[in-house]
Amino acid sequence: MMESILAGADQLFTLPTMLTMLVGVVAGVITAAIPGFTITMAIVLALPLTFTMPALQGVATLLAVYIGGYTGGMISAALLGIPGTPSALATTFDAYPMARRGEPGRALALGIWASFFGTLISSIVLIIAAPPLAMIAVKLGPWEYFSLVVFALTIVASLVGRSMLRGLLAGAIGLIIATVGADPLMGVTRFSFDLRMLSAGIPFLIVLIGIFAVSQLLREVEDAEEVKAGKQLIDSRISFKPWAAMREVLAFPVNLVRSSMVGVFIGAVPGAGGSIANLLAYDQAKRGSKNPEAFGKGASEGVIASESGNSATSGGGLIPMIALGIPGSAVDAVLMAALMVHGIGVGPRLIMDHADTVYGMFMAMFLAGAMMLVVCLLSMRLFLKVTSVPKSVIVPVVLTCCMVGAFALNNRITDIYLLLGIGIFGYILAKLDYPLAPLVLGVILGPIAETNLRRALMTNEEWTLFFTRPISLALLTLAALSIVLALRYRLKQRSQNLALD
Amino acid sequence: MSEATSNSRPQGREPDASPERARAVSHIVFNLALLGIAAVMFFHAGNLPSSAWEPIGSGSFPRMMLAVLALLNVIMIAKEAAKLRHTTALASGSIRDWLWQHRLAFGVLGLFTLYAIAVPLFGFRWATLPFVLACQVLLGARRPRQIAIAVAIALVMSLGLDALFRHVFTISLPRGALL
Repeated sequence: MMESILAGADQLFTLPTMLTMLVGVVAGVITAAIPGFTITMAIVLALPLTFTMPALQGVATLLAVYIGGYTGGMISAALLGIPGTPSALATTFDAYPMARRGEPGRALALGIWASFFGTLISSIVLIIAAPPLAMIAVKLGPWEYFSLVVFALTIVASLVGRSMLRGLLAGAIGLIIATVGADPLMGVTRFSFDLRMLSAGIPFLIVLIGIFAVSQLLREVEDAEEVKAGKQLIDSRISFKPWAAMREVLAFPVNLVRSSMVGVFIGAVPGAGGSIANLLAYDQAKRGSKNPEAFGKGASEGVIASESGNSATSGGGLIPMIALGIPGSAVDAVLMAALMVHGIGVGPRLIMDHADTVYGMFMAMFLAGAMMLVVCLLSMRLFLKVTSVPKSVIVPVVLTCCMVGAFALNNRITDIYLLLGIGIFGYILAKLDYPLAPLVLGVILGPIAETNLRRALMTNEEWTLFFTRPISLALLTLAALSIVLALRYRLKQRSQNLALD
Repeated sequence: MSEATSNSRPQGREPDASPERARAVSHIVFNLALLGIAAVMFFHAGNLPSSAWEPIGSGSFPRMMLAVLALLNVIMIAKEAAKLRHTTALASGSIRDWLWQHRLAFGVLGLFTLYAIAVPLFGFRWATLPFVLACQVLLGARRPRQIAIAVAIALVMSLGLDALFRHVFTISLPRGALL
């Protein structure tokens, strides 16, 4: 084992590898910081550039893009209120209010440190527990997957805001949006109404950009006097205190470790990924917090949970890939392709046949995490300058990026029309005070729920299996507990409000 | 429409229940529209083919979700309709005030709509250039220096971004059907 570690280190700690990793981190941060551009997009664009590199250098560079991307998504979430990537959705809940009340530097610094520690924890778990965790992850059948989604859907209760009814309505709308297009099992086209733009379905990223970016930007320009006076998005002087933020992150060790472990587990479950992990980690942090009422108003615990949760999926996603050759997400599939391009067969024998490459990848995770930290800490003052750009510039520039992101996703013109339609719908929802996060959650979880429900019933028509298989039962029990706790919290809050009145 | 309606109340007028009524009416109209869409989709889902291989077909899951949505819509409509009885009618001109207050948001939305229509016709470059420029002018770039900066930004976002995607990422942004 020691020999393999040293051989991996020998390949990794070379000037060309470290240089391409550094470029990868920077590219990942910048790409993911632009609304509409995802980490997957950045990795796919970087893949051909790694073909000429040695295997470990290529994979390490892609890992650097991956880890940089998870942090980059947080930048626009905190500064613009628009998640740069789906995995930064929950970051908008607290980082943006924190930035708006004049602390954009603190919001970014907290996010960077939380991302760094999340990556670190997930890398450690990856090294220690990859084989056993992978065995659990692949033992999940459709029953367990469906129950996991039911559990994840109970997060809606935490995201509903002031009205439970409006939150549930938004969640239901999201679940229905996800049913438009080809049916996930039989391929039957549903609800297209003979419109070409609907026949391929409504891509999740289009919903995310339309709902968050377009509606958020329109809300930013509602006050004509403010805009014409050249008002910036955030009124503040640039204050960036990274060491104070590090101490603040470490002051919540339970939150940090719990969120990271949520990220690792969700990352290890094939098909889930960072877009669910950040919401689940946020939800758990809110439930476990002594000040749950501060969440949504700029709570540091919320930023820490979301960012450590999504960054930890990077290590988690590698677990089934390295141990079993099953990619946990689209990004992991690209990493797998990068290994295969270099003639390295990915599967259970990977760690035996190419131990040096695998240990090199483990070390690359740590190295990329450290590089991300240095790059972000050094460049954040530059990113913070975004807050001093007038709205009259930010709005058209970000709308153009959204347009490019929507088109580049599938090279489809019809996605541009969908973006416009979803953007208008999102603006109406926002004006009517409907929470937008449950809708996005519905769109993410809808196809996973439907696929696994139908697959479970196709395998065995017996409904009771959802309650008799131990992991499925445990997840459903957690879901029930989650609802009861959420209702108890709301009732308690209501009675406190009545008492105050 | 919540805060907007309350902001649109002319100064000096006695506070009334109009904002709450406006909110209730908006929710009722929105939920009625959703209910209508849900009903159409529900019947459409009933016509989707079933499969011999699985107990629930393509239409079952959407139908379950649509039923839940319809139920929530009905509850919402009933809840908001009850509020109508306790509130007074909207003050005259309040809709006009609200629209005027949101003129910039609607202006940007109008430009974005034209942009979405123009991209497939004139291509990314020649649709983006006027969009970014017009949007900046609409949002306050009126002095010569501001306009010069706006032109530079528009050039970077249109020609620059197009070149970046074409030459670096080898992704061709729309070239335009009419060009």
